[in-house]
Amino acid sequence: MEGQERLTMAKILVIGAGGLGCPALQYLVAAGVGLIGIADHDVVEISNLQRQVLFGSSDLGLLKVEVAAKRLKQLNPEVKIILHPVSIDKQNILEIISHYDFIFDGTDNFESRYLINDACTLLKKPLIFAAVSGFEGQLAVFNVEDESGIKTNYRDLFPVSPATGEIPNCSENGVLGVVPGIIGTMAAGEIIKLIAGIGKPLINKLLHYNLLTQEQYEINISPSDEYKQLDSKADFMNHYKENTSQSYMEINLQQMNELRNHPSTVIIDVRERHEFPQLDSNIYKQIPMAEFAGFASSEIEQQNIILICQHGIRSVAAAETLHQKYGETKNIYSLKGGISKWRRHFLTKQHE
Amino acid sequence: MQIELISFGKISDFISNQILEIEGIETTDDLKKHLEKNFPGLADIKYKLALNKNLVQQNSEIKNRDSIAIMPPFSGG
Repeated sequence: MEGQERLTMAKILVIGAGGLGCPALQYLVAAGVGLIGIADHDVVEISNLQRQVLFGSSDLGLLKVEVAAKRLKQLNPEVKIILHPVSIDKQNILEIISHYDFIFDGTDNFESRYLINDACTLLKKPLIFAAVSGFEGQLAVFNVEDESGIKTNYRDLFPVSPATGEIPNCSENGVLGVVPGIIGTMAAGEIIKLIAGIGKPLINKLLHYNLLTQEQYEINISPSDEYKQLDSKADFMNHYKENTSQSYMEINLQQMNELRNHPSTVIIDVRERHEFPQLDSNIYKQIPMAEFAGFASSEIEQQNIILICQHGIRSVAAAETLHQKYGETKNIYSLKGGISKWRRHFLTKQHE
Repeated sequence: MQIELISFGKISDFISNQILEIEGIETTDDLKKHLEKNFPGLADIKYKLALNKNLVQQNSEIKNRDSIAIMPPFSGG
């Protein structure tokens, strides 16, 4: 099949009709893809117009997906457009993305990005990831195998979502309109490359772009063992179970040592057995992540459970697993920064 | 030894691109500790290192003239 023919067969879902989604939609529709889904539940606001180029001042207050579909139909009436005027959530995402071949994430918050990533990874859907901040952008292709059969996803890059407020979003940080314009257009280019089978898409690579210097910096992504892949729909639903309360607490070394004196406390080291430094097994019970699910299915008698690992990332994943099991009935902690942050303590003071 | 630091996004607000002279730092874990001590803002955010353009997934040895990128996640759209 020729590239153009492949394009007319392709089904692409664009999630987020914002600064990234608008230019991506324009170029995908202009290129003549077969079917485009647009998922967004927002209406057009005046602050959108500096970067969301499908919308004009007469569209204020109208649903973005409807305005976008109208403009795109004018551009290319041949393209079939499906509207999803909903907020993507754990209940609807698997069903929505199951109808498409390629998913483009142009959303504007970490919650959606992790949800989209996990759903696409579970259903093995190619995911084109684009994100911006200030004058910079990031672009990557996830869940597509390279020549050696290796594929990666967003959690290989950042295993755990940042906490609210940790990384500023566009509304806090601001973004120059042309940056999502450029990154969204590049994303459309990546999707077209993937569909047509041309060039070298950004598989297992993260591209950084900086408008101020016009510099690009490409990083090779390799698989991480710092998170647990969601392997089934049940895993997925469980992970995204209603969970608005703080599920676990990140603590520092001093807090850990105070808790350690409490009679009903267990400290679990979730690192692999070969990792250094090796800790005193009388104090730190070792359950590597690979065995953690099995361990978590048995009952833990202690009331306070402290998870530790090398950098405080796997321990967060382990804490989430235990929180799903115990909810508020036990106190679950993760040592922030992990053993590497408090290395001196773990090397010298652990026997005290 | 000398290494090149390259930072992105919010991290470039407090760690500029620079050549850093380091003593007694042999691994990426050592470097993380050193950076988090000298640039306290870094300890409070999620970030990843790339050593010579390869994502650091486990503690790795650093050599003279290596380049290290420090990347935060972006969420904006």
